[in-house]
Amino acid sequence: MAQAVQKLVAKVPTLVGAAVNYSKPRLATFWYYARVELVPPTPAEIPKAISGFQDLLKGFQSGRLGQTTVRDALRNGLVATEVLMWFYIGEIIGKRGLVGYDV
Amino acid sequence: MVPPVQVSPLIKTARWSALLVGLIYGKQRYDYLKPIAAEERRIEEEEKKLREEQERIYKQLSEGL
Repeated sequence: MAQAVQKLVAKVPTLVGAAVNYSKPRLATFWYYARVELVPPTPAEIPKAISGFQDLLKGFQSGRLGQTTVRDALRNGLVATEVLMWFYIGEIIGKRGLVGYDV
Repeated sequence: MVPPVQVSPLIKTARWSALLVGLIYGKQRYDYLKPIAAEERRIEEEEKKLREEQERIYKQLSEGL
């Protein structure tokens, strides 16, 4: 039993090295995309976001949104769902637990 | 590799503000639920003590008979 544990412990550095080697290129790809796509908005972009939101409202009032194709509507629905999911991720971070409140 | 897509600023602001709102909501709800749970635990402890006391008395009585 002790020998088996010792052998396992001796293998841990190789395992860690293998994991690092495996994840390095994938991490690099992730960073390559995340640095452009997932960054928070710069202060200069916030007025653009506000005007974009106002465009959305105007489009809704003028009835233009009724003209979206089903494909576009589905795509926008997916984007909206993704934005909603960030709220739940924030809640997970705020309550410091994955499932349920640890009170 | 496909070049990274330029995400519209509206979506970026919406995402990160949703993250912020979720964070605040989670923290506030946790702070709201914590004392309630502590109170319930305390009440449960007291009721348990009471119940065990009564069971003890009942057992003593039934053994006495």
